[in-house]
Amino acid sequence: MSLPRIDRSTKVILQGISGRAGRLHSRLMKEYGTNLVGGVSPARDVKDINGIPLFADCAAAVKATGATVSVALVGAYDLLAAMREAVAAGIRMIVTPTEGMPVHDALKAKRLTREAGVLWIGGSTPGMAVAETAKLGFLPDVSLKSGPLGLMSKSGTLSYEAGFRLAQRGVGTSVWIGVGGDPVKGLRYSDLVPFYAQDAQTRALLIIGEIGGRDEEDFAEALKAQAFPKPVFALIAGRTAPEGVAMGHAGALTYGSHGGYAAKRAALEASGVMVYDTLNAMVEGVAAKLL
Amino acid sequence: MYLLEHDAKQLLARHNIPAPQGCLITQPAEVTALPAGPWVVKGQITAGGRGKAGLIKKADNAADVVARAKDIIGKTAKGRTVNAVRVEQQVHDASEAYIAMMLDPAAAGVRIIMAAQGGMEIESLPRDALQTASAAPDVAALTATAEKLAASFPGAAGKALAEAGRAIAAAFLAEEALLIEINPLFVKADGSWLAGDAKFVTDDSALPRQPAQRALLADVCSAYVETTLKDAHGCDYVVVDPGGEIALLTTGAGLSMMLIDEMRGAGLKPYNFLDIRTGGLRGETKRLVNVLNWMREGRNVKVLLINIFAGITELGEFSRLLVSALKAVPEFRVPVVARLVGNGMESARAVLAEAGITLHNDLDAALAEVRRHLQTANPGDAT
Repeated sequence: MSLPRIDRSTKVILQGISGRAGRLHSRLMKEYGTNLVGGVSPARDVKDINGIPLFADCAAAVKATGATVSVALVGAYDLLAAMREAVAAGIRMIVTPTEGMPVHDALKAKRLTREAGVLWIGGSTPGMAVAETAKLGFLPDVSLKSGPLGLMSKSGTLSYEAGFRLAQRGVGTSVWIGVGGDPVKGLRYSDLVPFYAQDAQTRALLIIGEIGGRDEEDFAEALKAQAFPKPVFALIAGRTAPEGVAMGHAGALTYGSHGGYAAKRAALEASGVMVYDTLNAMVEGVAAKLL
Repeated sequence: MYLLEHDAKQLLARHNIPAPQGCLITQPAEVTALPAGPWVVKGQITAGGRGKAGLIKKADNAADVVARAKDIIGKTAKGRTVNAVRVEQQVHDASEAYIAMMLDPAAAGVRIIMAAQGGMEIESLPRDALQTASAAPDVAALTATAEKLAASFPGAAGKALAEAGRAIAAAFLAEEALLIEINPLFVKADGSWLAGDAKFVTDDSALPRQPAQRALLADVCSAYVETTLKDAHGCDYVVVDPGGEIALLTTGAGLSMMLIDEMRGAGLKPYNFLDIRTGGLRGETKRLVNVLNWMREGRNVKVLLINIFAGITELGEFSRLLVSALKAVPEFRVPVVARLVGNGMESARAVLAEAGITLHNDLDAALAEVRRHLQTANPGDAT
């Protein structure tokens, strides 16, 4: 298995499966084809949820199932502990959709996963998917069509809309990764450049970015440094957002020239990325290249 | 959240980071107790560039202070209205240095930047005047790195930067800060120092466990409207243009931002940003009713555009909640344009049709309907 590419043999557990979101999304993921082999829950009186066997902790779940991937659907203040538990149990990739993880917890989580060589996707991510194969998290089925376009996004909804319009236009995705909207995240765009460069199904790459931080700038540098061999497209939200206000995502906060739209666009364009002002223009640009 | 300078200095004082003596004034007519003068009168907004915006003025006597305060309060800059000024002692016989600590998302650490020159934007300082390094986010590592950087500056500046570095390291971690920037850091000949200005960005996600920060939400200046709303109501709402014509009922931060960018690019005037979080409605109209009431404050709002891309939410159920919420706020009487995509479109179409609302699948078609309503409302307007 080459993470973060997953398939129907990838064994996945869900931490927090007995919560409202855990019950709903374990069913939806399983229906989509994800190989959910276990759930972690403190609930003692239940044996399984949606036909998925329950375990008291990650260690027991991993031991019994051989799972290598975990999706953690626990509260924001419980997330760091859940990640520690997963790493200690030998999980190799963790997806954390929960919104609102404190940033200093995320700093600790990132150091923890990095030192253990574990891939972390999140926080505040809708998850990731290999279209028509398996998904980890919330990505809506209507937006998932299999195809040649690699997709990375900070935003959930904007990527749903983009994926949906692309699918309607006939363009499908290869590996879709929601890197998440938090300022300190696990995998950043730039970390994934080598993965998309060598992924055979991926013929082009789309990033959906937004104001705040410097993920887009670092991505642009990584493209150049690694001579990324495939066409790259970008859509950046927040061109007209006010300074000093976090626009829904904790990461989407600009102050002074920090995190602003203009610097991101300039950096991407200098690396040969096609940057679009509207969804329609992006869809047509991508379609013209790939169809 | 991006703190007002005054609030930042109050919080920093708890961590032994001193500032020139100062006080906050919201009613210039009621100025009584001032620290010894002369003073600088500084308009308080949650954005930088205040000097250029004319929000920072010197004053030599008490009458001057009142006049300057009256002049500055009520001004708007960067879309924010000034509700208060900080009146602060001027500092003389001091040099200006620079110190900042900020998140380093790539290294999962904290970046420290120091310079013996300050008082201007960090971007304008010569590169070789800066010392910078990244450290692990724990007190020992951060303090050691700050001391090492400070050691490269001779004399009073080096002493002040080392001491300020230790204090800021402790504050940064205890307050779970995203950024603390002291620029200028006033340095006296004996190495004693004061924070001349303070830029302090905190983590909204940590608010529930940071009571001193949360207390600022009840602040007299009401500078943190967005964070206050999110704290109380669980959704993100920002008025992006008080004179805007189109109220937006939208979900998803990225999609809502993009919609605003695209509308502005097409010459339309959105009033607000909103991430309603349909998944958090839990079958109740309360959040929708609140939002509709906030939108009534938009004096030029002429149409309401609903744009929901629902991955999970059942749109029939959402439409029923929406129609009930609209009925509950009869004072908000503007045409409603709806564009929904997701599960349960047929039942959504039926529910909305009964309320006289056309459901669009296509965003461009919805925007065309928005334009028709604006033309009806502004017959002389070419938009």
